[in-house]
Amino acid sequence: MANNPLPAKVDLGASAAKGFSHPIWAARADRLQSASGVLLGLFIIMHLHFESSILLGKEAFYYVVQFLEGGIFSETGHGYPILTQVFSAFMLVVVMIHAVFALRRFPTQIGQWRALRQQLHFLPHEDTKIWFWQMVTGFLLFFLAPVHLFTMIMNPEIGPHLSAERVYHDNAWILYVFLLPAVVVHAIFGLYRVCVKWGLVQQRFALLKFAKVLVVYLMIIGIASLVTYIVIGRTLELPIIPFVPTL
Amino acid sequence: MQIIYTDTLVVGAGLAGLRVAIASKERGLDTLVLSLIPAKRSHSAAAQGGMQASLGNTVKGMGDDEDVHFQDTVKGSDWGCDQTVARMFAHCAPKAVRELANWGVPWTRVTKGDREVIVNAEKVTIHEAAAAHGLINARDFGGTKKWRTCYTADGTGHSLLYAVDNKAISLGIPVHERMEALKIIHDGKRCHGVIARCLITGELRAYIAKSTTIATGGYGRIYEVSTNAIICEGIGQALALETGVATLGNMEAVQFHPTAIVPVGILTTEGCRGDGGLLRDKDGYRFMPDYEPEKKELASRDVVSRRMTEHMRKGKGVESPYGPHLWLDITLLGRKHIETNLREVKEICENFLGIDPAKDWIPVRPTQHYSMGGIRTTPTGESPQLSGLFSVGEAACWDMHGFNRLGGNSLAETVVGGMIIGKYVADFGEQHDLVVDTALINRFGKDLSDEIDQLVDGNGSENAFELKLTMQRIMMDYVGIFRNGVELQQAIDELSALLKRASNIGLKCKKRHANPELVEALRIRRMLKVALTVACGANARTESRGAHSREDFPQRNDKDWLNRTLSSWPDANALIPTLSYEPLDVMAMELPPGYRGYGVNNAIAHPDTEKREQQIADILAQLDADADRYVKQAAIMPFELPDALLPNNERLSDTLSSLVKTANVAGDK
Amino acid sequence: MSQARTIRFSIFRFDPQDPHDKPKMVNYEVTEAPGMTVFIALNMLREQQDPSLQFDFVCRAGICGSCAMVINGKPTLACRTLTANYPKGDIVLMPLPGFELIGDLSVNTGKFMRELSERLQLWLQPNSLDSDIHRMEQPMDPEEAAKLYELERCVECGVCVSACATKQMRETFVGAVGMMKIARFELDSRDTRTADDFYHVIGNQDGVFGCMTLLGCQDACPKDLPHMTQIAYLRRKMAMTNPNRIL
Repeated sequence: MANNPLPAKVDLGASAAKGFSHPIWAARADRLQSASGVLLGLFIIMHLHFESSILLGKEAFYYVVQFLEGGIFSETGHGYPILTQVFSAFMLVVVMIHAVFALRRFPTQIGQWRALRQQLHFLPHEDTKIWFWQMVTGFLLFFLAPVHLFTMIMNPEIGPHLSAERVYHDNAWILYVFLLPAVVVHAIFGLYRVCVKWGLVQQRFALLKFAKVLVVYLMIIGIASLVTYIVIGRTLELPIIPFVPTL
Repeated sequence: MQIIYTDTLVVGAGLAGLRVAIASKERGLDTLVLSLIPAKRSHSAAAQGGMQASLGNTVKGMGDDEDVHFQDTVKGSDWGCDQTVARMFAHCAPKAVRELANWGVPWTRVTKGDREVIVNAEKVTIHEAAAAHGLINARDFGGTKKWRTCYTADGTGHSLLYAVDNKAISLGIPVHERMEALKIIHDGKRCHGVIARCLITGELRAYIAKSTTIATGGYGRIYEVSTNAIICEGIGQALALETGVATLGNMEAVQFHPTAIVPVGILTTEGCRGDGGLLRDKDGYRFMPDYEPEKKELASRDVVSRRMTEHMRKGKGVESPYGPHLWLDITLLGRKHIETNLREVKEICENFLGIDPAKDWIPVRPTQHYSMGGIRTTPTGESPQLSGLFSVGEAACWDMHGFNRLGGNSLAETVVGGMIIGKYVADFGEQHDLVVDTALINRFGKDLSDEIDQLVDGNGSENAFELKLTMQRIMMDYVGIFRNGVELQQAIDELSALLKRASNIGLKCKKRHANPELVEALRIRRMLKVALTVACGANARTESRGAHSREDFPQRNDKDWLNRTLSSWPDANALIPTLSYEPLDVMAMELPPGYRGYGVNNAIAHPDTEKREQQIADILAQLDADADRYVKQAAIMPFELPDALLPNNERLSDTLSSLVKTANVAGDK
Repeated sequence: MSQARTIRFSIFRFDPQDPHDKPKMVNYEVTEAPGMTVFIALNMLREQQDPSLQFDFVCRAGICGSCAMVINGKPTLACRTLTANYPKGDIVLMPLPGFELIGDLSVNTGKFMRELSERLQLWLQPNSLDSDIHRMEQPMDPEEAAKLYELERCVECGVCVSACATKQMRETFVGAVGMMKIARFELDSRDTRTADDFYHVIGNQDGVFGCMTLLGCQDACPKDLPHMTQIAYLRRKMAMTNPNRIL
């Protein structure tokens, strides 16, 4: 008689899935990726604002740093740079968690990569394009962010002059030129995606527009701060004397 | 040639075909479905408005039952239908609706309390009972006494088809997609299956089965402009016709829907008018009340279509590059109603006309819509001539529609007919053995492969596409809404000439696999034969009945024409079909021919009509005074159904009246 | 009236059953008529210029979902695409990616959808006890019925599958159509499956946790189905269902 393809009563969950494909890890990975991403994204927005306080003058930046390093608790009033070290180490861990879970999204086979390129070429679509750039920036950040964080762990001194020294005299600006756009694009569109992914926002196009505005804004303050540090750095002579506000 | 064996073979995976397949599979028979396309793409999906079933849940449907539905159906058919079949149908329609609810159809439900509706261009507030809350709702449709059309917003056919196909998938019924049946294998008495061609590989396959059910839909595409899907080309009817034995019934009964958009002929549902939409002419004047003061826009489809054509002939049509049209005005229903209940209409207006139906009027005109005729079957769905050949749905002339089908009765026929006939098909499968006659199979297989060889390798000169367009134009021009002897004869002559030319088709594309031109060539020969049965049947029928309207014979003539046209094609080389007639027995009718309620009553009466009316009165007089409607009905015209479908249908009115009774009893104490 | 313009079609041609054939783009020209759709134009091409041209149309009214193809980089239903929408008069037609190619513009969406339906068991699984078809039907909340219909409007055209870069990269991913159908049955009060049952089907990398929220599905859907909201809903639901929660 006719060959009957029976409706497959297959239990997909029971398929021999390993790693993140395992049903328990699938949900967990998605949640952890989003949670770590949100943490990093929000941190980046704050971070960029803190360091761009230099735009308001060396004093402003000094007080921000002093406050964040717990200056009011220290006898010298300068705070504890070790806080920066500890925090940087913690962020490094978060970045690693985020990277590990985000990596499952990467096209790992040449065929997948080709399919993605073809899709982008033949069926251009904005959100897909945005994701593509998120993926590219994510890949860059995988290398750039740890470099930055290691620097901060090894050399945690922050201040109007100390930071300017790092930027200008230690040539960290080269790192920041790549790091800044990558991290802004990745973080802001990442936050946008988390919102639509979990259904936190219904007005998607308004949100996307907001995200784009935010990217431009963060880029402007980021670049302006970077330029400011370079300008400050050029006026300083080695060895650097840390900035202390004149009372 | 590969031979595939099964118990139940169904050709066509629309609602009717799938429903039969499910019935067979549920009885443990091996079942297989052939389809030109994926099942869920079938034309059943296009039915927007709904299906009729006398549930009587909405307040406007209160008092509805099988009797009222039966009467509407018979009157709608202009007494051309088989009343036994109409009874079987009306009885099972509520069952089918309830069954479909269990299969997943999200029927639109009644909301208790006040609701604003539009009746006769005026806003009316109706009050739905609390007890009806959450039960299946119904809307108004043309030609019905009660609000009886059950629906899911404006995608009823879509919802039904998806639910039924999902059911078929859950039962593991294989659907062989992109297979086109092109020959019925038979020995003159018994049908053994079909020879089909794969539209992808071009491979020919024999499907051998105990029973073969043709459920391929209508033949609307023999007309140039039709609301039908482009696959509704009448190939199923042609297969039966080409056996030379099986007959087609009432092929001239072709329905024109009043409101298809101009020029593309896409349907806007009857729900537009049912929900309160109006028809207007070039002056913006609402003309239907002048012609049909009582039913107005909601008269039967054939009536509205004719009145519209009449009105346009008076010069009241709106001129356009595609000929005159009229306006359908649904702006008065309001945007919210249009965007929820008539969204499909809105999409069609936006995408194909670039207009907003909440603001603009829709250009419409009557367009070929439905084929009442089809493969003639007995009430069990079997061909009277070829045992084992069944047909169901629009493909068949089971004959519950006679000469005009009511809106909402076609979708209903697919699932109700499928439910009933499915059981008879399963019975047949249980009672009969598979007959395998390889010589016979090979003979039919060779016939088809010879036909293909001749098309591909022969040196014919005719173009299949051209022939098709010529045929479609002939049907539009001469076999349309209004017909007359001169034009019909011209149609027959020209179609016969085309049929002759069709034996000389040559192909430009010589591929044997996926080749659209070959597909077209194989079909046009078959379609021409179907077109000829329509034209010849129309020419021979010298009366006007339902959708068949003769300008030269405007009266309904029960005296001479209370019968069913049967067409067959015994001589394969003939250029016209052979016609014969099957009388409708007035003495067996529950509802003897009467006035349909439109225009002037000018019917020529049948001599038995009065006799039968008297007889019915006598039968009723002899019954007990407290005989209920079921007893009365059974006394007048008994009908048979499979046992599982016999129980009476429970209604809200039953539970309400029993509640009242209980309340009364409680009150007495 | 202005003079009719010429529409220039560039159409993907390939017959996979012909061992000598290679994929190529072929150019055709058609004179535009008022209200012309891609359906009308393709039929004219087949009837007058090239009878071997393969494409699929059934209802030609935007209802059946047969005729999806990529038109100038956008996957959509060809039958309801007016040529007037393209002011330059250049129209490029490609078959939907992600499906088995039958030839030219014709792809086997039917086979794909049937397999998906069997794999995910996309049919109502009601409590069989309350199904007496002779008695009153079970009441259903009118709101629920309306919501169900909203989700049931999918026509299985395959556009969401081809618009999804995730699906293009990962064969086994169920795609939006599968998830939307699961959402439909999850919503249905008649269906007896629990969140746990659905978790076994789509609570994994091939299901809702494999979706990267690129939203090609939602942006291209010819029926404007709410993919974003529904998939987000499923994701939240499945993330809460997971028995071994971390986060």
